[in-house]
Amino acid sequence: MKSAWNKFYSWLDERVQLQNLIQFMGKKYVPVHSHSIWYYFGGVSLFLFIIQVMTGILLLLYYKSGEEFAFESIQYIMSKVNFGWLIRSIHSWTANLFILTAMIHMFSVFFEKAYRKPREMTWITGMLMFFLALGFGFSGYLLPWNELAFFATKVGTDIAGVIPFIGKPLMIFLRGSEEVNGATLSRFFGFHVAVLPGIFTVLLGIHLVLVQRQGMSEPLGLGANSKSGLKTMPFFPNFLLRDLLFWLVVLNLLAILAVFFPWELGKKADPFASAPAGIKPEWYFLFMFQTLKYIPAKLLVIDGEVFGVLLFSFAGLLWMLVPFWDKKSNRGEQNRFINYIGLFAVLYIIFFTILGWLL
Amino acid sequence: MKQVMLFLLSFLLPVLSNGVSYAGDKCLTCHKGLSDKPSSLYSHDIHSSKGISCAECHGGNQNSDDMEQAMSKEAGFIGVPKGDDISKVCSNCHANPDKMNELGSTLPTNQWQLLQTSVHGKSSLAGNEHIVQCITCHSVHNIVSVKNPASPVYPLNAVKTCTKCHADPAYMRAYNPSMPVDQLEKYKTSVHGMRNSKGDSKTAECASCHGGHDIRSANDVKSSVYAVNIPSTCSHCHSNSVYMKEYNIPIDQYEKFSKSVHGISLLQKRDVAAPACNDCHGNHGATPPGVESISKVCGTCHALNAELFSSSPHKKVFDEKKLPECETCHSNHEIIAATEKLLGATPEAVCSRCHNENQNPKGYVIAKAMRHLTDSLESSENNAGALVTDAEQKGMEISEAKFKLRDIHQARLQTRTMVHSFNAKKFNEAAMKGLSTASFVAGEAQHAIDEYYFRRWGLGIATLIISIVGVALYLTIRKIEIKQQNKNNGIKES
Repeated sequence: MKSAWNKFYSWLDERVQLQNLIQFMGKKYVPVHSHSIWYYFGGVSLFLFIIQVMTGILLLLYYKSGEEFAFESIQYIMSKVNFGWLIRSIHSWTANLFILTAMIHMFSVFFEKAYRKPREMTWITGMLMFFLALGFGFSGYLLPWNELAFFATKVGTDIAGVIPFIGKPLMIFLRGSEEVNGATLSRFFGFHVAVLPGIFTVLLGIHLVLVQRQGMSEPLGLGANSKSGLKTMPFFPNFLLRDLLFWLVVLNLLAILAVFFPWELGKKADPFASAPAGIKPEWYFLFMFQTLKYIPAKLLVIDGEVFGVLLFSFAGLLWMLVPFWDKKSNRGEQNRFINYIGLFAVLYIIFFTILGWLL
Repeated sequence: MKQVMLFLLSFLLPVLSNGVSYAGDKCLTCHKGLSDKPSSLYSHDIHSSKGISCAECHGGNQNSDDMEQAMSKEAGFIGVPKGDDISKVCSNCHANPDKMNELGSTLPTNQWQLLQTSVHGKSSLAGNEHIVQCITCHSVHNIVSVKNPASPVYPLNAVKTCTKCHADPAYMRAYNPSMPVDQLEKYKTSVHGMRNSKGDSKTAECASCHGGHDIRSANDVKSSVYAVNIPSTCSHCHSNSVYMKEYNIPIDQYEKFSKSVHGISLLQKRDVAAPACNDCHGNHGATPPGVESISKVCGTCHALNAELFSSSPHKKVFDEKKLPECETCHSNHEIIAATEKLLGATPEAVCSRCHNENQNPKGYVIAKAMRHLTDSLESSENNAGALVTDAEQKGMEISEAKFKLRDIHQARLQTRTMVHSFNAKKFNEAAMKGLSTASFVAGEAQHAIDEYYFRRWGLGIATLIISIVGVALYLTIRKIEIKQQNKNNGIKES
């Protein structure tokens, strides 16, 4: 058995020079320190994305887009297709866990200031992937064509419509018409399975190449600049195996969630029915949705809703461009101001999400 | 010249009259002398007997001999009132409780108010007055008490009074083109109408059901003939033991009806689609349905049941024995919800009244078999429902099976209808359809419940495998790291 494996390995190595890759990985080291745990969230996000791709492809075998078929096809997947319930539930749960782990990864990178020179591009590609992940969530939510998804999409695209100048055309572009209907569903399906994955894969490739090329960032005050130096572990096999262990824990968690809390399908969307009470977006949009509720209808000359959307857009842009305005961290100095901003953002999101959930 | 004549007449008339002195009411004195219709009618008017003068309605000075002065605007003379002014003149007294008390009247004082809110209170075609004024029904100058047989609104005359307009298609078309104008013709054929025409003033006429001044459209929930109010309106007379004594008919119809499936729907659930008294007995042509027409009456709503019964072997037997068709099994006013208990060979089943092992045994066997099937269908439906609920509570996707539960219930309803064919084959077809659907639903639900447990077992096994792999991975990492540590220590020591 072992000789057969060796033979296969030699055959492959002769053709693609695997030895070089192993040598490269063997020379790659990951810093070991009290905050090392956060390094694993990038890997687990990747793992969840891979699950999404796989379960998404399986769902595609049975899912039918269109007002008349979408809901029924999901119903068929849930009740008739062998393990269809499992695939759909894992896909839905993974979508949420993916955004959660990506969010944790983003904040850990922010607090560690790992975005600083020379990793600006890694941060930017990561942020762009995070926005795409939100796009995945928003577009995928509508695909079952159920009541909650229908009205949440209506509200969501309405909010997009208030952006000055480009709002209205953007809303019509997203919906495919003035209203949320079958055209919107087709469009969202196209975004979800073709446009977003295509862009995401390119960004993910760049992100991973950069991570491999530049290695893991060391926290400020440690590493090369510190007096004691920094402990490290080999990326292969130590870090990779630990990554795998974490993935197995997440896989177990996913299986438990899918079996004990199967993702509900709800009622089929009826465009002529009135919106059910308490329509809310997915949890990751809740803090913004809740904030918009508290902004007065008119703020001086600008509409409250417009102000809110512009405020969040501006905050998101500033957040994405942090490597370019946080000069102190780039110089290798501690910047407590960044920590305060991060802390405020975390507390704000948690507080308004809970508030949105309860009210 | 005319003025001179009137002046002379005012002196002559008291002398020429039959000893009755009108010296107190100079209007009447003059007009009597002229022998005009109003003054000659007025002597029989109830208002005349109360000492009410012409001037009370027409204004003017009743004490003045001078026509100019008596009929002057200064004296408040208004001449002949027109339009709504007519009713307003009447309501000057009839809407004034003090005035009515003064005259010793116990009449209600809200007639004008009621008339305004009634269906007759709408505007006339000209738009400047109501359709109906007081005098339209009560006449003028010869008004008598409603208890007086001469009154146009006396029970024996009311129908004629109302139908002056309501039987006139040309007149009614202007106000309500869709309103029938055959009420009078129907009424004449009704028990009420026939008795009324024979002089029985106690039988119902128009006002008995529709009210007098407060007549409202039958679609108006406040109307006494609104569907939900009809049983109460009819029972006003028909449940009154004293009033109905001489007619020798039961007085428990309302009591029975209110407990019936129809009564509960109509009176408690306020479902106006449920039948009221008039839906079976007719309204203007109200009469008890004959034995031969009962299935036709019930069949207006229960069409399929009636059709099946008519083509069943029971039809001929019932006709021969003069048995009222639906009523024989379901009773009349106190029709309770038809359950499976009515069917079969048990003592409470209606079939057993005519069929047993010795008497008409064929029907006995069929009834017993039908009951067996309906009981099976009922328990199958309950079983399938319970399994679906269980599967749903376990979080399983079972909407298709849940939807098919309706088909089972529908099949049960169909079997209830099919009973009226008294045909075992037709009944079995409907019942088997329900049983096979129930079997499918129960199978689907059971499969979902089994799947639920399979998932839990699967999860347990998968978790175990993943955990074992995890532990193995952890041990491998430890092993590798210890090996690396030993290697590093060896390098350092050397």
